[in-house]
Amino acid sequence: MPPAYRRRPLGLLATAVATTAALLLSACGGATDNASGSGTPDPDATITIGSLTEPTTLNTVKGGNTGHAQVLLRNVVEGLTVLTDDGTVEPLLAASWDISPDGTEYTFRLRPGVTYSDGTPLRAADVVTTLKRVISDESTSARKKNLSIMKEITAPDDATVRVVLSARSQSFLFYLTTTGAAVTKPGVGNPDTTVIGTGPYVLSEWKKGDSITLTRNDRYWGEPARNREVVYRFFTDATAEHNALLAGQLDLVTQVTSPDVLTQFENRPEFTIVEGTSTTKELFVVNNAIAPFNNVDVRRAIRRATDRRALLNAVWAGRGQILGSMVPPTDPWYEDLTGIDDHDPASARELLAKAGYADGLTFTVDYVPSDSSTIIAQGLKNQLAQVGITISLNPVDDATWTDKVYQRHNYQATIMTHVNQRDLIWYGDPDFYWQYDNPQVQQWVAASETAATPQEQTELLRKVARQISEDAASDWLYLNPAIKIASSAVTGYQKNNTTDSFYVAPISKRR
Amino acid sequence: MWRRSASGADRSRAGLGWLLRRIGWLLGSLVVAASAVFLLLRVLPGDPAVTLLGIGSSPEQYDAVRRQLGTDRPLLAQYVDWFGGLLTGDLGEGLFTRTPVLDQITERLPVTLPLALSAFVASALVAVPVGVLAAVRRRGLLGVVLSGLAQLGIALPVFWLGILLVWLVAVRWRLLPPGGFPRVGWRDPGGAVESLVLPVLTLTVAQASLLIRYVRSATLDVLHQDYLRTARSLGYSLPRALWRHGLRNGAAPVVNVLGVLLASSLLGTVVIESVFALPGLGTLLLSSVQARDLPVVQGTVFLMTATVLLVGLVVDVVQRLIDPRLRGRA
Repeated sequence: MPPAYRRRPLGLLATAVATTAALLLSACGGATDNASGSGTPDPDATITIGSLTEPTTLNTVKGGNTGHAQVLLRNVVEGLTVLTDDGTVEPLLAASWDISPDGTEYTFRLRPGVTYSDGTPLRAADVVTTLKRVISDESTSARKKNLSIMKEITAPDDATVRVVLSARSQSFLFYLTTTGAAVTKPGVGNPDTTVIGTGPYVLSEWKKGDSITLTRNDRYWGEPARNREVVYRFFTDATAEHNALLAGQLDLVTQVTSPDVLTQFENRPEFTIVEGTSTTKELFVVNNAIAPFNNVDVRRAIRRATDRRALLNAVWAGRGQILGSMVPPTDPWYEDLTGIDDHDPASARELLAKAGYADGLTFTVDYVPSDSSTIIAQGLKNQLAQVGITISLNPVDDATWTDKVYQRHNYQATIMTHVNQRDLIWYGDPDFYWQYDNPQVQQWVAASETAATPQEQTELLRKVARQISEDAASDWLYLNPAIKIASSAVTGYQKNNTTDSFYVAPISKRR
Repeated sequence: MWRRSASGADRSRAGLGWLLRRIGWLLGSLVVAASAVFLLLRVLPGDPAVTLLGIGSSPEQYDAVRRQLGTDRPLLAQYVDWFGGLLTGDLGEGLFTRTPVLDQITERLPVTLPLALSAFVASALVAVPVGVLAAVRRRGLLGVVLSGLAQLGIALPVFWLGILLVWLVAVRWRLLPPGGFPRVGWRDPGGAVESLVLPVLTLTVAQASLLIRYVRSATLDVLHQDYLRTARSLGYSLPRALWRHGLRNGAAPVVNVLGVLLASSLLGTVVIESVFALPGLGTLLLSSVQARDLPVVQGTVFLMTATVLLVGLVVDVVQRLIDPRLRGRA
């Protein structure tokens, strides 16, 4: 019964449409416009930085994985020493130091005239408190174990700190650059949400889920920051972050996670793309303790079957660099070892045959899916298939990976990203998840720590890097590039991602 | 209007009994929900100690963190804590910032509530008239187009639609911000409204599409009823017949679906807030899940579940009020 009903349009619909339109219209007009001028640097500029890692806490002695280092270290809090963008350790709050001939006693002389951002002077006793705190029960710092070699920490006077180590440690000054060893003013409230330091910025607001605002510390002892305010804005979604940059809401994005987004910014004068180096290494890891990977020929065959350049190309479109061992170029013991077991499928087959796997080999790769690991997993599958190795891919979530692979070592092979500086020494730990057990390497790693000179340490670790490569302890794929995209109006940001911090004081923005 | 009969007092007593039973059922559901949320989070893999330390720490360090966080205690003790806290309105503290979970949640409400409620109201305002129109004109071009659009709206993934709108409206045309919320919140009302327009629009398209389909089929049911034909034969115009007889008869199922819509608007914010980088409940939930901040996840999920259950109760009450046929039932 199709009745005729052409009376009048339903008023409600019209109202709804009108309301929506009105809402839309009322919202137009307030558009953000960020002209990248060519004027002079503005000393009172606000720099807005996009980041995907919001801190879970601001407590400097909590965790190495909490995202606070990027915001706080060097900007709000400072240590006795600092790790610079090119990988060297330099003095910061310590003006200088003496080391006893046996290498176990450090006497630090503090920089004179340093105050906290609230105006109170920095005292040697506070440094002692900080250093004791990072190795206390309260601390969960990733470097707690390393720093626990400090057995005596005292302040002979207000400007001197004396640390006695239980053994000589070539890495001690490096370990002091960690966030947990950065000096914070004691007793200023909940350490999870408040922190007062001596850095060029004051932490002025943490709006959880949204942003952290740093304001220039006008009492700073050193060269003042070249901007008045830095806002870190946090995103859970990379696309949202890039859109904010495109729309002019951000001045800078600290790390691009895939080269695909670059096309939106290329050939546009208002944006600048900068490629630096990182310490973020992509690894194809096999469980050295179990068959068939306890056979060096199998491991070498896997390395020779791997076309690292093709993988790097697939993930990063030619950016980044391939690796021959566990050392990034900014670590002092870097050496180009990419010639060892380079891509050579024919000899990979021979090695497999020699190891008794002429008919091929099958194993499972557990991996946490991400843009890059998915591409790598597929690439490896195809490459290894060409030499008769069949891998089945098993995607797992983060937590499962940590439990199954990292803690219980219940896996055959995996794909993993390792971000730390100077993490070659993990090959000296037979219980580390790849279970590489070479007593010679363990001895070199231990000796490098107690070496008399940095040169000796470097020599020993070079040997380690070469030995693990010859043993094919892992299949090191490539070093991720550090790609930043910035508005062309800002300059002075660090190009590399080789430190935990992101030092923002030198950034300036043109009017 | 329905009139109260002689047995009105009995009826209202029966109604009271029903309400009490219904509330009892709600409380029971809350207990089940609280326990399920707690247990599910413990069954899922993931250790806050590991997210806090990252990899490369010793087993002793992990143990120390677990002790500090209290995640090493027996499950039963943790459960009793969680449940006891709930009874006193205490959702506990976040593992990492040691701030009360309730504060963390209320901090996010000024973003999530306006977002979810505006999307709900806008979808209802759009969907009810459009749905009725689509039903009435179902054989005409307009009806086909409207149904088609609704179908399309359902098929589009909501995050994709969000990304598309951001790209078009914010990046290309620069009419609105692509995301974020003013740092000063609602003290910048213009900025706050601006930031919510696109998210509300996105959520509305998704929700309204579903609702249009529903309203359309509810209206079609009504159109085929005898009472409507009778009304039409008595000389009522179709809109008038629908208004006087159709609306009341079709209202009960629509109220039901509105309840579902309100709940899904709230839950839809999880995806939407991430796409638009809004500091609301959804992003709080997402980042706490990533960090395995169990008390925060627990508190947020429980609160969302409780809201959905409460909406269900309100829907049942409203349905009984508007549909006398339901009142006879226990």
